[in-house]
Amino acid sequence: MTKNVKTSPASGQDAAAYYQPLFAPKTVAIVGASSTKEIIGNTFLRRIKDYGFKGDIYPIHPKADEIDGYKAYPSVADTPKPVDYCYIAVGAARVADVIASSKGRMKFAHVISSGFGEVSEGVELQNQLVQTAHDNNCRVIGPNSLGLYSPRGGITFVEESSKELGPVGVISQSGGLGTDIVARGQRRGVKFSGLVSVGNCADIGPTELLEFYLDDPQTKVIGAYLEQVDEGRKFFETLKASQGKKPVVILKGGRTAQGSRAAASHTGALAGNEQVWLALSKQTGCILADTLDDFLDILLAFQNLEPRDDRPSDRIALFGNGGGTSVLASDFYARLGLSIPPFDTKTVDALRELNLPPGTSIDNPIDAPVGTLRQDDGAIAEKIMDAMYAYSKPDALVMHLNMAAFRGRTPPSVMENLLKAAFRIQKRYPGQAHFLLALRSEGDPETEEIKRRFRQIALEASVPVYDELSNAAVALAAVKFYETFKRDHVKA
Amino acid sequence: MTTPQDAISAARKDGRSALDEATGKQLLETFGVTVPQSIVTKDADSAAKDAGGLKFPVVVKVMSQDILHKSDAGGVKVGLQNADEVKDAIATMAALPAIKKATVDGYLVEEMAPAGQELVVGGLKDPQFGPLVMVGLGGIFVEVLKDVAFRICPIEEIDAREMLAELKGAALLKGARGQKPASEDAIVDVLMKVGGDNGLLMQLEDDIAEADINPLIVSETSAVAVDARFILTEQKSS
Repeated sequence: MTKNVKTSPASGQDAAAYYQPLFAPKTVAIVGASSTKEIIGNTFLRRIKDYGFKGDIYPIHPKADEIDGYKAYPSVADTPKPVDYCYIAVGAARVADVIASSKGRMKFAHVISSGFGEVSEGVELQNQLVQTAHDNNCRVIGPNSLGLYSPRGGITFVEESSKELGPVGVISQSGGLGTDIVARGQRRGVKFSGLVSVGNCADIGPTELLEFYLDDPQTKVIGAYLEQVDEGRKFFETLKASQGKKPVVILKGGRTAQGSRAAASHTGALAGNEQVWLALSKQTGCILADTLDDFLDILLAFQNLEPRDDRPSDRIALFGNGGGTSVLASDFYARLGLSIPPFDTKTVDALRELNLPPGTSIDNPIDAPVGTLRQDDGAIAEKIMDAMYAYSKPDALVMHLNMAAFRGRTPPSVMENLLKAAFRIQKRYPGQAHFLLALRSEGDPETEEIKRRFRQIALEASVPVYDELSNAAVALAAVKFYETFKRDHVKA
Repeated sequence: MTTPQDAISAARKDGRSALDEATGKQLLETFGVTVPQSIVTKDADSAAKDAGGLKFPVVVKVMSQDILHKSDAGGVKVGLQNADEVKDAIATMAALPAIKKATVDGYLVEEMAPAGQELVVGGLKDPQFGPLVMVGLGGIFVEVLKDVAFRICPIEEIDAREMLAELKGAALLKGARGQKPASEDAIVDVLMKVGGDNGLLMQLEDDIAEADINPLIVSETSAVAVDARFILTEQKSS
């Protein structure tokens, strides 16, 4: 632990402003770009240029006058304007000197270089790095970090990352996994307000970035991949004080690790990392995800849905084609504590009056074969959902389409009409039910292409799209957990 | 009356890494947790006089740093009906090999708790998160099934209730299988006094490394800490 750490604004009240130069820098310096070949600093320069960074770029080089078309400077002390964000990728031993030579003109140093606290011989170097930074009024991200993805600032470390600014703010203690989170997340519709690969957390750690995201108006939901939180107490207290202000989803590595303490009591022998994180989740309302897929699915739900504090999502309705699929889903939802209650008589009567073809179930879960769903070119779905919403008033509806079963039997407009019918129902009954869509594909390229297009249409209507009913269930269980926490733990 | 801090300092001064049972129970009492009425007596001869004020039946337990598992060593005798039986029990104990070779601090004579269900309440100082509080049902539930719930201190009342609700054996507390129910309010009260904002674990955060209240006997109306073990933190070099 480094002593004398200058911390960010204590209450988090000004955290959004404090980190503005990091997430939306006006000036970026790059240390570790070559004038003769492409090394990591050049790659970063090219990435932010292609990504559309609008501010000034200052390559730092002891001898070169120009790098990749930009005027180079011998040190950060020589740049025309002070530097908001400095990307540093040089040998570990030189990093502290780079910061010292800035003479206090560098706000955030993002240290990509490794060879610090992650190896025993680098521990002292890391302490020196932080001390030097603080002496020069500079804060450090990293070292041993992969980079920053900040659409609002035009900064990215991920190839082909989306330029769209979204509501999901992420902290990652693994750079590689951070790349996966962006690359995979955006393909399923997750839109980011930022992602920081925090590396060794020598100076700025998960708690401080949590404070930022809690305060940041752009961020609606927070995700964190964590391996080790040295300031566990402060992390807990920050989460607890936030009173579930924003959903926080944690993917925690190393939860099953056995405690290394030699226990002298029953209690000591029973306590492990897993118990502590479960406790933290229950006391603060943050959600623990088990896998990367679950993590992204849950973030996608919170990005698009508006959690209710007064009515946790417990009563779920399922509607789609596939009898066996519905039965299996009923079991899976029950295991996650989500109920799929039978409809009341009014709903059943209303559905019966629709005279749906034989083979269509008129109770929850509604199994409606393609033959039913293609009636009136898909408009039938609106009547079915209307009956559900008018009388049974589910807390959430998951519509699932086995897309392969439609292909060849219906014109493409039918599936699209089904989606549009669902969107209209959502508008007609505002705040009634969370609406999630499972677009089930057998993997055929043509189906996948339709799915990709529908996913786009759905996301524009703030509808999260999942591969299977089980993915939607995991997301809904997380929403329910958060809503229940808010209802039971947060005083109005 | 000695303060918790005094008792801990005294134990440290004696070179102890844990509080003896009597001191541990005094500590619990200071924080409002009910413990059985008890006395500490030196030996069999002093027992009859010292135990005279207690309500029989009583239990006798040997007090020694050298004996970790009192029952295994033969150092616990329950259901003693009068002062003579107490005297005989202590005399018998003192002659047992495991007790004879140990340094005995005395004998704890205490009233028997009203019948009820056995629970365990624990505490632990986590290096990252600070004090944790634990609850579980006693016996095989804790030892074999590891059916326990943890929370980070300080807990609120709703946390205490949710801890009990998440135990797999929660139904037993409500009186399954013809048993009498255990008072949820009484357990919650103990959890708050141990793990709450002004509770023992928060107030003595620097001194308590691990704690076991085992068993906590809970009847329909009350919860009594029948045994308590407090392991002290490693003393900081000053």
